[in-house]
Amino acid sequence: MTTPAIEFREVTKVYKKRLLGQEIAALTNVSFEVAQGEVCAFLGPNGAGKTTSIGLLMGFHYADYGEIRVLGEIPGDVRAKQKIGFLPENFAFYKYMKAPGLLRFHAQLAGVTPQEAATLIPDLLYKVKLNGYEGLKVSKYSRGMVQRLGIAQALLSDPQLMVLDEPTSGLDPAGRKEVRDTILALKAAGKTIFLSSHILSEVEQICDRVIIVDRGRMVRSGTLNEMLGAGDRVEIVVDQVAEELERTLVESGATVERGEHGVRIGAPTARKRELAEMLWAAGCDVVSIVPIRNSLEELFLKVVGDDGRPFGGTPS
Amino acid sequence: MKILAIALNTFGGFLRNKLMILCFALFVCVVLLMMTPLAGLKMVATAENAQEMQQTVMQIIGVIIMFVSAAGSLLAAWAAADAVYSEMKSGTVLAVMARPVRRWEYLLGKYLGVEMLMLVYVLMMFCLSYILAWIGGEKIQSTPWVLIAYPLVRWSIYSAIAMLLVTVFHSIVAFGITMVISVLALRLAPSEGGAHLLPESMRAAIYAVLPSTGLLSEDRFFTITQASLKQLTWAAHLTTLTYGLDYALVFLLLAMWSFHYRGLSRD
Repeated sequence: MTTPAIEFREVTKVYKKRLLGQEIAALTNVSFEVAQGEVCAFLGPNGAGKTTSIGLLMGFHYADYGEIRVLGEIPGDVRAKQKIGFLPENFAFYKYMKAPGLLRFHAQLAGVTPQEAATLIPDLLYKVKLNGYEGLKVSKYSRGMVQRLGIAQALLSDPQLMVLDEPTSGLDPAGRKEVRDTILALKAAGKTIFLSSHILSEVEQICDRVIIVDRGRMVRSGTLNEMLGAGDRVEIVVDQVAEELERTLVESGATVERGEHGVRIGAPTARKRELAEMLWAAGCDVVSIVPIRNSLEELFLKVVGDDGRPFGGTPS
Repeated sequence: MKILAIALNTFGGFLRNKLMILCFALFVCVVLLMMTPLAGLKMVATAENAQEMQQTVMQIIGVIIMFVSAAGSLLAAWAAADAVYSEMKSGTVLAVMARPVRRWEYLLGKYLGVEMLMLVYVLMMFCLSYILAWIGGEKIQSTPWVLIAYPLVRWSIYSAIAMLLVTVFHSIVAFGITMVISVLALRLAPSEGGAHLLPESMRAAIYAVLPSTGLLSEDRFFTITQASLKQLTWAAHLTTLTYGLDYALVFLLLAMWSFHYRGLSRD
Protein backbone atom coordinates (compact mmCIF):
# COMPACT_ATOMS: atom_id res chain seq x y z
CA MET A 1 0.00 0.00 0.00
CA THR A 2 1.41 3.38 -0.98
CA THR A 3 1.75 6.11 1.61
CA PRO A 4 -1.00 8.73 1.29
CA ALA A 5 0.23 12.09 0.08
CA ILE A 6 -1.59 13.86 2.93
CA GLU A 7 -2.99 12.45 6.18
CA PHE A 8 -4.88 14.41 8.81
CA ARG A 9 -5.91 12.41 11.87
CA GLU A 10 -8.15 14.03 14.47
CA VAL A 11 -6.37 17.35 14.00
CA THR A 12 -7.31 20.20 16.30
CA LYS A 13 -5.86 23.67 16.21
CA VAL A 14 -6.76 26.34 18.73
CA TYR A 15 -5.52 29.92 18.47
CA LYS A 16 -4.95 31.46 21.87
CA LYS A 17 -5.07 35.17 22.58
CA ARG A 18 -3.15 35.11 25.82
CA LEU A 19 -3.69 38.74 26.79
CA LEU A 20 -7.45 38.53 26.31
CA GLY A 21 -7.67 34.97 27.60
CA GLN A 22 -9.58 33.96 24.45
CA GLU A 23 -9.37 30.69 22.57
CA ILE A 24 -10.56 30.27 18.99
CA ALA A 25 -10.89 26.75 17.66
CA ALA A 26 -9.77 26.97 14.03
CA LEU A 27 -9.96 23.21 13.45
CA THR A 28 -11.66 20.51 15.49
CA ASN A 29 -10.98 16.80 14.98
CA VAL A 30 -10.40 17.06 11.26
CA SER A 31 -9.46 13.77 9.58
CA PHE A 32 -8.93 13.04 5.90
CA GLU A 33 -6.55 11.40 3.49
CA VAL A 34 -5.44 12.34 0.01
CA ALA A 35 -3.97 9.51 -2.05
CA GLN A 36 -0.95 10.01 -4.25
CA GLY A 37 -1.88 11.08 -7.77
CA GLU A 38 -5.23 12.58 -6.73
CA VAL A 39 -6.43 16.10 -7.38
CA CYS A 40 -8.18 17.12 -4.18
CA ALA A 41 -10.17 20.31 -3.64
CA PHE A 42 -10.38 21.76 -0.15
CA LEU A 43 -13.51 23.87 0.12
CA GLY A 44 -15.20 25.91 2.78
CA PRO A 45 -16.66 29.35 3.47
CA ASN A 46 -14.83 32.20 5.18
CA GLY A 47 -13.10 31.25 8.41
CA ALA A 48 -13.80 27.56 7.84
CA GLY A 49 -10.17 26.62 8.57
CA LYS A 50 -8.83 26.11 5.05
CA THR A 51 -5.82 28.42 5.36
CA THR A 52 -5.09 27.05 8.83
CA SER A 53 -5.16 23.50 7.43
CA ILE A 54 -2.80 24.46 4.62
CA GLY A 55 -0.57 26.23 7.16
CA LEU A 56 -0.46 23.06 9.29
CA LEU A 57 0.25 20.97 6.22
CA MET A 58 3.17 23.20 5.24
CA GLY A 59 4.56 23.34 8.77
CA PHE A 60 3.76 27.04 9.26
CA HIS A 61 1.70 26.22 12.34
CA TYR A 62 1.64 23.35 14.81
CA ALA A 63 -1.45 21.30 15.58
CA ASP A 64 -2.55 21.21 19.22
CA TYR A 65 -3.85 17.65 18.92
CA GLY A 66 -3.84 14.98 16.28
CA GLU A 67 -1.36 13.84 13.72
CA ILE A 68 -0.44 15.11 10.27
CA ARG A 69 1.76 13.41 7.71
CA VAL A 70 2.81 14.86 4.38
CA LEU A 71 4.34 12.33 1.98
CA GLY A 72 4.97 10.21 5.05
CA GLU A 73 6.88 12.94 6.90
CA ILE A 74 6.08 15.43 9.64
CA PRO A 75 4.95 18.81 8.23
CA GLY A 76 7.86 21.22 7.89
CA ASP A 77 10.40 18.41 7.49
CA VAL A 78 12.84 19.39 4.75
CA ARG A 79 12.54 15.90 3.18
CA ALA A 80 8.83 16.53 2.65
CA LYS A 81 9.30 20.16 1.60
CA GLN A 82 11.80 19.03 -1.02
CA LYS A 83 8.91 17.30 -2.81
CA ILE A 84 6.27 20.02 -2.35
CA GLY A 85 5.46 22.94 -4.60
CA PHE A 86 3.48 25.60 -2.75
CA LEU A 87 1.52 28.55 -4.04
CA PRO A 88 0.29 30.75 -1.17
CA GLU A 89 -2.88 32.76 -1.43
CA ASN A 90 -1.89 36.16 -2.91
CA PHE A 91 1.67 35.14 -3.67
CA ALA A 92 4.02 37.72 -2.11
CA PHE A 93 7.33 38.62 -3.71
CA TYR A 94 10.38 40.81 -3.21
CA LYS A 95 9.35 43.99 -4.98
CA TYR A 96 12.81 44.90 -6.19
CA MET A 97 13.36 41.60 -7.97
CA LYS A 98 12.72 40.59 -11.56
CA ALA A 99 11.14 37.24 -12.41
CA PRO A 100 14.38 35.38 -13.32
CA GLY A 101 16.08 36.68 -10.15
CA LEU A 102 13.17 35.61 -7.96
CA LEU A 103 13.10 32.16 -9.53
CA ARG A 104 16.89 31.87 -9.17
CA PHE A 105 16.57 32.68 -5.45
CA HIS A 106 13.86 30.05 -5.01
CA ALA A 107 15.89 27.58 -7.08
CA GLN A 108 18.83 28.06 -4.70
CA LEU A 109 16.57 27.40 -1.72
CA ALA A 110 15.10 24.35 -3.46
CA GLY A 111 18.56 22.93 -4.01
CA VAL A 112 18.42 23.27 -7.81
CA THR A 113 21.94 23.66 -9.20
CA PRO A 114 22.77 26.89 -11.08
CA GLN A 115 23.28 24.84 -14.27
CA GLU A 116 19.83 23.26 -13.96
CA ALA A 117 18.29 26.61 -13.07
CA ALA A 118 19.79 28.22 -16.18
CA THR A 119 17.68 25.99 -18.43
CA LEU A 120 14.72 25.46 -16.12
CA ILE A 121 13.90 29.13 -15.46
CA PRO A 122 13.44 30.23 -19.11
CA ASP A 123 11.33 27.09 -19.70
CA LEU A 124 9.10 27.86 -16.72
CA LEU A 125 8.72 31.50 -17.72
CA TYR A 126 7.70 30.33 -21.18
CA LYS A 127 5.27 27.82 -19.69
CA VAL A 128 3.50 30.48 -17.63
CA LYS A 129 3.68 32.97 -20.52
CA LEU A 130 5.98 35.42 -18.76
CA ASN A 131 8.76 35.20 -21.34
CA GLY A 132 9.39 38.67 -22.70
CA TYR A 133 8.86 40.23 -19.26
CA GLU A 134 12.20 39.16 -17.80
CA GLY A 135 13.47 42.75 -17.64
CA LEU A 136 10.44 44.07 -15.76
CA LYS A 137 10.41 44.28 -11.96
CA VAL A 138 7.82 41.99 -10.38
CA SER A 139 6.29 45.03 -8.65
CA LYS A 140 5.20 46.24 -12.11
CA TYR A 141 3.41 42.96 -12.91
CA SER A 142 -0.37 42.70 -12.99
CA ARG A 143 -2.06 40.46 -10.42
CA GLY A 144 -2.50 37.73 -12.99
CA MET A 145 1.19 37.87 -13.95
CA VAL A 146 2.20 37.64 -10.29
CA GLN A 147 -0.07 34.63 -9.87
CA ARG A 148 1.49 32.96 -12.91
CA LEU A 149 4.95 33.69 -11.50
CA GLY A 150 3.82 32.08 -8.24
CA ILE A 151 2.82 28.98 -10.17
CA ALA A 152 6.22 28.96 -11.90
CA GLN A 153 8.04 29.05 -8.54
CA ALA A 154 5.82 26.24 -7.24
CA LEU A 155 6.84 24.10 -10.22
CA LEU A 156 10.57 24.81 -9.76
CA SER A 157 11.67 21.63 -8.05
CA ASP A 158 9.49 19.21 -10.06
CA PRO A 159 7.31 18.59 -6.99
CA GLN A 160 5.52 15.38 -6.18
CA LEU A 161 2.80 17.26 -4.29
CA MET A 162 1.44 20.66 -5.26
CA VAL A 163 -0.36 22.70 -2.59
CA LEU A 164 -2.22 25.54 -4.25
CA ASP A 165 -4.11 28.12 -2.24
CA GLU A 166 -6.47 29.89 -4.65
CA PRO A 167 -4.42 29.19 -7.79
CA THR A 168 -6.77 31.03 -10.15
CA SER A 169 -7.25 34.07 -7.95
CA GLY A 170 -6.81 37.25 -9.97
CA LEU A 171 -6.63 35.53 -13.33
CA ASP A 172 -8.78 36.32 -16.35
CA PRO A 173 -10.78 33.50 -18.00
CA ALA A 174 -7.92 32.67 -20.37
CA GLY A 175 -5.45 32.61 -17.48
CA ARG A 176 -7.79 30.40 -15.46
CA LYS A 177 -8.00 27.96 -18.34
CA GLU A 178 -4.20 27.88 -18.56
CA VAL A 179 -3.95 27.08 -14.85
CA ARG A 180 -6.61 24.38 -15.25
CA ASP A 181 -4.66 22.90 -18.15
CA THR A 182 -1.44 23.04 -16.11
CA ILE A 183 -3.14 21.24 -13.22
CA LEU A 184 -4.54 18.59 -15.57
CA ALA A 185 -1.08 18.14 -17.14
CA LEU A 186 0.41 17.70 -13.67
CA LYS A 187 -2.31 15.21 -12.83
CA ALA A 188 -1.54 13.30 -16.01
CA ALA A 189 2.11 13.24 -14.92
CA GLY A 190 1.04 11.51 -11.70
CA LYS A 191 1.44 14.48 -9.35
CA THR A 192 -0.79 14.96 -6.33
CA ILE A 193 -2.58 18.29 -6.17
CA PHE A 194 -4.22 19.77 -3.10
CA LEU A 195 -5.98 23.02 -3.84
CA SER A 196 -8.38 25.42 -2.28
CA SER A 197 -10.58 27.43 -4.58
CA HIS A 198 -13.76 29.40 -4.52
CA ILE A 199 -14.53 28.81 -8.17
CA LEU A 200 -16.54 25.63 -7.76
CA SER A 201 -17.24 25.14 -11.46
CA GLU A 202 -13.48 24.85 -12.02
CA VAL A 203 -13.01 22.52 -9.10
CA GLU A 204 -15.68 20.30 -10.60
CA GLN A 205 -13.76 20.10 -13.86
CA ILE A 206 -10.39 19.10 -12.46
CA CYS A 207 -10.79 17.38 -9.10
CA ASP A 208 -11.11 13.72 -8.17
CA ARG A 209 -11.80 14.31 -4.48
CA VAL A 210 -13.50 17.06 -2.52
CA ILE A 211 -13.20 17.92 1.15
CA ILE A 212 -15.59 20.49 2.60
CA VAL A 213 -14.90 22.16 5.93
CA ASP A 214 -17.10 24.54 7.84
CA ARG A 215 -16.47 26.29 11.16
CA GLY A 216 -13.33 24.22 11.69
CA ARG A 217 -15.00 20.86 11.18
CA MET A 218 -14.97 18.57 8.21
CA VAL A 219 -18.52 18.31 6.94
CA ARG A 220 -18.11 16.21 3.79
CA SER A 221 -15.36 14.26 2.08
CA GLY A 222 -15.33 11.90 -0.86
CA THR A 223 -14.70 11.47 -4.53
CA LEU A 224 -16.51 13.86 -6.83
CA ASN A 225 -18.70 11.04 -8.18
CA GLU A 226 -19.66 9.99 -4.66
CA MET A 227 -20.44 13.55 -3.72
CA LEU A 228 -22.39 14.54 -6.80
CA GLY A 229 -24.11 11.21 -7.32
CA ALA A 230 -23.15 10.83 -10.96
CA GLY A 231 -25.22 8.28 -12.85
CA ASP A 232 -28.21 8.10 -10.48
CA ARG A 233 -30.54 9.98 -12.79
CA VAL A 234 -30.72 10.88 -16.47
CA GLU A 235 -32.28 13.70 -18.39
CA ILE A 236 -34.00 12.90 -21.70
CA VAL A 237 -34.66 15.86 -23.94
CA VAL A 238 -37.36 15.46 -26.62
CA ASP A 239 -38.91 17.90 -29.11
CA GLN A 240 -42.47 17.52 -27.79
CA VAL A 241 -44.64 15.32 -25.60
CA ALA A 242 -48.38 14.85 -25.83
CA GLU A 243 -50.28 15.81 -22.66
CA GLU A 244 -51.54 12.26 -22.16
CA LEU A 245 -48.01 10.86 -22.33
CA GLU A 246 -46.82 13.59 -19.94
CA ARG A 247 -49.41 12.48 -17.36
CA THR A 248 -48.29 8.87 -17.78
CA LEU A 249 -44.67 9.86 -17.29
CA VAL A 250 -45.41 11.92 -14.17
CA GLU A 251 -47.53 9.14 -12.70
CA SER A 252 -44.61 6.73 -13.23
CA GLY A 253 -42.31 8.98 -11.16
CA ALA A 254 -40.53 10.96 -13.90
CA THR A 255 -40.28 14.73 -13.91
CA VAL A 256 -41.36 16.70 -16.97
CA GLU A 257 -40.35 20.24 -17.65
CA ARG A 258 -41.41 22.10 -20.77
CA GLY A 259 -39.05 24.73 -22.12
CA GLU A 260 -38.29 26.79 -25.19
CA HIS A 261 -35.93 24.20 -26.59
CA GLY A 262 -37.99 21.11 -25.97
CA VAL A 263 -39.23 18.99 -23.10
CA ARG A 264 -36.83 17.74 -20.38
CA ILE A 265 -37.73 14.50 -18.73
CA GLY A 266 -35.86 13.46 -15.57
CA ALA A 267 -35.90 9.83 -14.45
CA PRO A 268 -33.79 7.22 -12.63
CA THR A 269 -30.96 5.83 -14.78
CA ALA A 270 -32.47 2.34 -14.50
CA ARG A 271 -35.51 3.49 -16.49
CA LYS A 272 -33.49 5.20 -19.24
CA ARG A 273 -34.05 2.52 -21.91
CA GLU A 274 -37.73 1.92 -21.04
CA LEU A 275 -38.59 5.65 -21.24
CA ALA A 276 -36.57 6.25 -24.39
CA GLU A 277 -38.37 3.40 -26.14
CA MET A 278 -41.74 4.67 -24.87
CA LEU A 279 -40.98 8.17 -26.24
CA TRP A 280 -39.79 6.80 -29.62
CA ALA A 281 -42.89 4.68 -29.86
CA ALA A 282 -45.07 7.75 -29.17
CA GLY A 283 -43.40 9.56 -32.09
CA CYS A 284 -41.23 11.92 -30.05
CA ASP A 285 -37.87 12.95 -31.41
CA VAL A 286 -35.29 12.19 -28.69
CA VAL A 287 -32.72 14.99 -28.87
CA SER A 288 -30.38 13.85 -26.06
CA ILE A 289 -30.00 11.54 -23.09
CA VAL A 290 -27.50 12.75 -20.50
CA PRO A 291 -26.74 11.72 -16.90
CA ILE A 292 -27.95 14.27 -14.34
CA ARG A 293 -25.29 15.42 -11.87
CA ASN A 294 -25.81 17.83 -9.02
CA SER A 295 -23.49 20.81 -9.33
CA LEU A 296 -20.78 21.21 -6.72
CA GLU A 297 -22.15 24.64 -5.93
CA GLU A 298 -25.57 23.19 -5.09
CA LEU A 299 -23.95 20.56 -2.92
CA PHE A 300 -21.70 23.10 -1.24
CA LEU A 301 -24.57 25.41 -0.36
CA LYS A 302 -26.61 22.44 0.89
CA VAL A 303 -23.75 21.23 3.09
CA VAL A 304 -22.50 24.48 4.59
CA GLY A 305 -25.86 26.23 4.51
CA ASP A 306 -26.60 29.39 2.60
CA ASP A 307 -26.66 31.59 5.66
CA GLY A 308 -25.58 34.73 3.89
CA ARG A 309 -21.93 34.50 4.89
CA PRO A 310 -19.68 35.90 2.20
CA PHE A 311 -17.96 33.38 -0.01
CA GLY A 312 -14.42 34.47 -0.68
CA GLY A 313 -11.13 35.01 1.12
CA THR A 314 -10.06 32.94 4.05
CA PRO A 315 -8.57 34.99 6.86
CA SER A 316 -8.10 32.77 9.85
CA MET B 1 24.24 27.61 0.23
CA LYS B 2 20.64 28.24 1.32
CA ILE B 3 21.80 30.34 4.28
CA LEU B 4 24.08 32.36 2.01
CA ALA B 5 21.26 32.86 -0.52
CA ILE B 6 18.97 34.18 2.24
CA ALA B 7 21.78 36.39 3.62
CA LEU B 8 22.59 37.90 0.22
CA ASN B 9 18.91 38.40 -0.52
CA THR B 10 18.45 40.17 2.84
CA PHE B 11 21.49 42.35 2.23
CA GLY B 12 20.31 43.16 -1.31
CA GLY B 13 16.90 44.05 0.09
CA PHE B 14 18.47 46.56 2.50
CA LEU B 15 20.43 48.24 -0.26
CA ARG B 16 17.20 48.71 -2.23
CA ASN B 17 15.08 49.72 0.75
CA LYS B 18 13.73 53.21 0.02
CA LEU B 19 13.40 54.13 3.70
CA MET B 20 16.99 53.10 4.30
CA ILE B 21 18.26 55.07 1.30
CA LEU B 22 16.37 58.15 2.55
CA CYS B 23 17.71 57.79 6.10
CA PHE B 24 21.21 57.29 4.77
CA ALA B 25 20.96 60.45 2.65
CA LEU B 26 19.76 62.40 5.71
CA PHE B 27 22.53 60.88 7.80
CA VAL B 28 25.20 61.95 5.28
CA CYS B 29 23.75 65.48 5.22
CA VAL B 30 23.84 65.68 9.03
CA VAL B 31 27.45 64.43 9.16
CA LEU B 32 28.50 66.93 6.48
CA LEU B 33 26.75 69.74 8.36
CA MET B 34 28.54 68.72 11.54
CA MET B 35 31.85 68.72 9.68
CA THR B 36 31.36 72.22 8.23
CA PRO B 37 32.54 74.08 11.39
CA LEU B 38 35.79 72.08 11.35
CA ALA B 39 37.04 73.74 8.17
CA GLY B 40 36.02 77.17 9.49
CA LEU B 41 37.80 76.65 12.80
CA LYS B 42 40.97 75.52 11.08
CA MET B 43 40.95 78.69 8.96
CA VAL B 44 40.46 81.14 11.86
CA ALA B 45 43.12 79.44 13.96
CA THR B 46 46.08 81.72 14.81
CA ALA B 47 49.27 81.15 16.75
CA GLU B 48 47.62 82.61 19.89
CA ASN B 49 44.43 80.52 19.88
CA ALA B 50 45.82 77.38 18.21
CA GLN B 51 45.56 75.20 21.30
CA GLU B 52 42.04 76.36 22.10
CA MET B 53 40.93 75.82 18.49
CA GLN B 54 42.46 72.36 18.43
CA GLN B 55 40.51 71.47 21.56
CA THR B 56 37.25 72.64 19.95
CA VAL B 57 38.04 70.69 16.77
CA MET B 58 38.60 67.53 18.80
CA GLN B 59 35.34 68.08 20.67
CA ILE B 60 33.42 68.38 17.41
CA ILE B 61 35.11 65.25 16.07
CA GLY B 62 34.19 63.41 19.28
CA VAL B 63 30.53 64.41 18.84
CA ILE B 64 30.52 63.30 15.19
CA ILE B 65 32.04 59.93 16.07
CA MET B 66 29.53 59.44 18.89
CA PHE B 67 26.68 60.37 16.55
CA VAL B 68 27.85 57.94 13.85
CA SER B 69 28.34 55.21 16.43
CA ALA B 70 24.88 55.75 17.95
CA ALA B 71 23.38 55.66 14.45
CA GLY B 72 25.11 52.31 14.00
CA SER B 73 23.32 50.92 17.07
CA LEU B 74 20.01 52.22 15.70
CA LEU B 75 20.74 50.69 12.32
CA ALA B 76 21.69 47.29 13.79
CA ALA B 77 18.49 47.07 15.84
CA TRP B 78 16.22 48.39 13.09
CA ALA B 79 17.73 46.23 10.33
CA ALA B 80 17.44 43.04 12.41
CA ALA B 81 13.86 43.75 13.48
CA ASP B 82 12.80 44.77 9.99
CA ALA B 83 14.54 41.89 8.20
CA VAL B 84 12.24 39.37 9.87
CA TYR B 85 9.12 41.45 10.44
CA SER B 86 8.84 42.82 6.89
CA GLU B 87 8.82 39.26 5.53
CA MET B 88 6.11 38.25 8.00
CA LYS B 89 4.08 41.32 7.09
CA SER B 90 4.35 40.92 3.33
CA GLY B 91 3.97 37.15 3.40
CA THR B 92 7.20 36.43 1.50
CA VAL B 93 8.23 34.26 4.45
CA LEU B 94 5.57 31.71 3.44
CA ALA B 95 7.01 31.12 -0.02
CA VAL B 96 10.54 30.93 1.42
CA MET B 97 9.63 28.60 4.29
CA ALA B 98 7.75 26.32 1.88
CA ARG B 99 11.17 25.52 0.45
CA PRO B 100 13.37 22.88 2.08
CA VAL B 101 14.73 25.45 4.53
CA ARG B 102 14.83 24.90 8.29
CA ARG B 103 13.65 27.71 10.48
CA TRP B 104 17.05 28.20 12.10
CA GLU B 105 18.65 28.36 8.64
CA TYR B 106 16.22 31.10 7.66
CA LEU B 107 16.92 33.15 10.79
CA LEU B 108 20.67 32.65 10.52
CA GLY B 109 20.54 33.80 6.89
CA LYS B 110 18.62 36.90 7.94
CA TYR B 111 21.11 37.59 10.73
CA LEU B 112 24.10 37.24 8.41
CA GLY B 113 22.40 39.62 5.95
CA VAL B 114 22.14 42.18 8.76
CA GLU B 115 25.80 41.62 9.68
CA MET B 116 26.81 42.20 6.04
CA LEU B 117 25.04 45.55 6.19
CA MET B 118 26.72 46.40 9.49
CA LEU B 119 30.12 45.48 8.04
CA VAL B 120 29.57 47.99 5.22
CA TYR B 121 28.55 50.58 7.82
CA VAL B 122 31.62 49.86 9.99
CA LEU B 123 33.91 50.24 6.99
CA MET B 124 32.30 53.58 6.19
CA MET B 125 32.69 54.65 9.80
CA PHE B 126 36.31 53.51 9.71
CA CYS B 127 37.00 55.72 6.68
CA LEU B 128 35.19 58.62 8.34
CA SER B 129 37.36 58.26 11.48
CA TYR B 130 40.52 58.62 9.39
CA ILE B 131 39.08 61.59 7.46
CA LEU B 132 38.16 63.31 10.74
CA ALA B 133 41.57 62.55 12.25
CA TRP B 134 43.21 64.05 9.17
CA ILE B 135 41.00 67.17 9.36
CA GLY B 136 41.76 67.52 13.05
CA GLY B 137 45.47 67.07 12.46
CA GLU B 138 45.60 64.09 14.84
CA LYS B 139 46.57 60.46 14.53
CA ILE B 140 44.17 57.57 15.18
CA GLN B 141 45.29 56.08 18.48
CA SER B 142 43.73 52.64 17.99
CA THR B 143 44.99 50.01 15.59
CA PRO B 144 42.72 49.71 12.50
CA TRP B 145 41.28 46.25 13.23
CA VAL B 146 40.04 47.46 16.63
CA LEU B 147 37.99 50.17 14.91
CA ILE B 148 36.33 47.49 12.81
CA ALA B 149 36.01 44.48 15.16
CA TYR B 150 34.71 46.17 18.31
CA PRO B 151 31.76 48.06 16.81
CA LEU B 152 30.87 45.06 14.68
CA VAL B 153 30.74 42.79 17.73
CA ARG B 154 28.77 45.34 19.76
CA TRP B 155 26.22 45.77 16.96
CA SER B 156 25.99 42.02 16.44
CA ILE B 157 24.73 41.84 20.04
CA TYR B 158 22.09 44.50 19.43
CA SER B 159 20.94 42.89 16.19
CA ALA B 160 20.69 39.50 17.93
CA ILE B 161 18.60 41.06 20.73
CA ALA B 162 16.32 42.77 18.19
CA MET B 163 15.98 39.51 16.25
CA LEU B 164 14.96 37.65 19.40
CA LEU B 165 12.40 40.32 20.30
CA VAL B 166 10.90 40.48 16.81
CA THR B 167 10.05 36.78 16.98
CA VAL B 168 7.58 37.75 19.70
CA PHE B 169 6.73 41.44 19.26
CA HIS B 170 6.01 43.95 16.52
CA SER B 171 9.19 45.31 14.92
CA ILE B 172 8.70 48.79 16.44
CA VAL B 173 8.41 47.31 19.94
CA ALA B 174 11.47 45.10 19.31
CA PHE B 175 13.42 48.11 18.05
CA GLY B 176 12.33 50.25 21.02
CA ILE B 177 13.25 47.65 23.64
CA THR B 178 16.65 47.10 22.00
CA MET B 179 17.29 50.83 22.06
CA VAL B 180 16.34 51.06 25.75
CA ILE B 181 18.76 48.21 26.46
CA SER B 182 21.54 49.92 24.51
CA VAL B 183 21.00 53.23 26.36
CA LEU B 184 20.91 51.42 29.70
CA ALA B 185 24.08 49.55 28.81
CA LEU B 186 25.75 52.82 27.95
CA ARG B 187 24.55 54.72 31.01
CA LEU B 188 25.26 51.89 33.44
CA ALA B 189 28.76 51.20 32.17
CA PRO B 190 31.26 51.05 35.05
CA SER B 191 32.96 54.16 33.70
CA GLU B 192 29.68 56.11 33.93
CA GLY B 193 28.45 57.67 37.15
CA GLY B 194 24.86 56.42 36.91
CA ALA B 195 25.63 52.86 37.95
CA HIS B 196 27.05 53.89 41.34
CA LEU B 197 23.62 55.00 42.49
CA LEU B 198 22.41 51.39 42.34
CA PRO B 199 23.00 48.77 45.06
CA GLU B 200 25.94 46.45 44.49
CA SER B 201 23.79 43.35 43.90
CA MET B 202 21.68 45.13 41.28
CA ARG B 203 24.81 46.47 39.60
CA ALA B 204 26.28 42.98 39.42
CA ALA B 205 23.04 41.61 37.96
CA ILE B 206 22.89 44.36 35.34
CA TYR B 207 26.51 43.83 34.33
CA ALA B 208 25.81 40.13 33.95
CA VAL B 209 22.74 40.66 31.77
CA LEU B 210 23.32 43.82 29.76
CA PRO B 211 25.88 43.77 27.00
CA SER B 212 28.39 46.48 26.39
CA THR B 213 28.54 47.63 30.00
CA GLY B 214 32.22 48.24 29.93
CA LEU B 215 33.86 45.45 28.03
CA LEU B 216 32.64 46.68 24.68
CA SER B 217 32.14 50.27 25.73
CA GLU B 218 33.10 52.45 22.84
CA ASP B 219 34.62 55.29 24.84
CA ARG B 220 37.61 53.01 25.46
CA PHE B 221 38.68 52.94 21.86
CA PHE B 222 36.73 55.43 19.80
CA THR B 223 38.13 58.71 20.99
CA ILE B 224 40.83 59.66 18.58
CA THR B 225 42.94 61.40 21.21
CA GLN B 226 42.75 58.69 23.88
CA ALA B 227 42.23 55.05 23.19
CA SER B 228 42.70 52.98 26.31
CA LEU B 229 42.24 49.76 24.31
CA LYS B 230 45.52 50.44 22.55
CA GLN B 231 47.32 49.31 25.65
CA LEU B 232 45.43 46.01 25.91
CA THR B 233 47.14 42.72 25.27
CA TRP B 234 45.96 40.27 22.60
CA ALA B 235 44.57 38.02 25.35
CA ALA B 236 42.48 40.90 26.70
CA HIS B 237 41.21 41.75 23.23
CA LEU B 238 40.32 38.12 22.63
CA THR B 239 38.51 37.82 25.95
CA THR B 240 36.54 41.00 25.33
CA LEU B 241 35.48 40.08 21.82
CA THR B 242 34.68 36.48 22.76
CA TYR B 243 32.55 37.76 25.60
CA GLY B 244 30.69 40.01 23.17
CA LEU B 245 30.24 37.28 20.57
CA ASP B 246 29.03 34.96 23.31
CA TYR B 247 26.28 37.47 24.13
CA ALA B 248 25.32 37.67 20.45
CA LEU B 249 25.30 33.89 20.09
CA VAL B 250 23.11 33.36 23.15
CA PHE B 251 20.54 35.88 21.92
CA LEU B 252 20.66 34.44 18.41
CA LEU B 253 20.10 30.89 19.72
CA LEU B 254 17.18 32.16 21.81
CA ALA B 255 15.80 33.88 18.70
CA MET B 256 16.07 30.60 16.74
CA TRP B 257 14.31 28.72 19.51
CA SER B 258 11.53 31.31 19.70
CA PHE B 259 11.16 31.45 15.91
CA HIS B 260 10.94 27.67 15.72
CA TYR B 261 7.78 27.65 17.82
CA ARG B 262 5.99 30.67 16.41
CA GLY B 263 3.28 30.36 13.81
CA LEU B 264 4.07 31.75 10.38
CA SER B 265 1.37 33.75 8.71
CA ARG B 266 0.86 37.02 6.94
CA ASP B 267 0.63 39.51 9.82
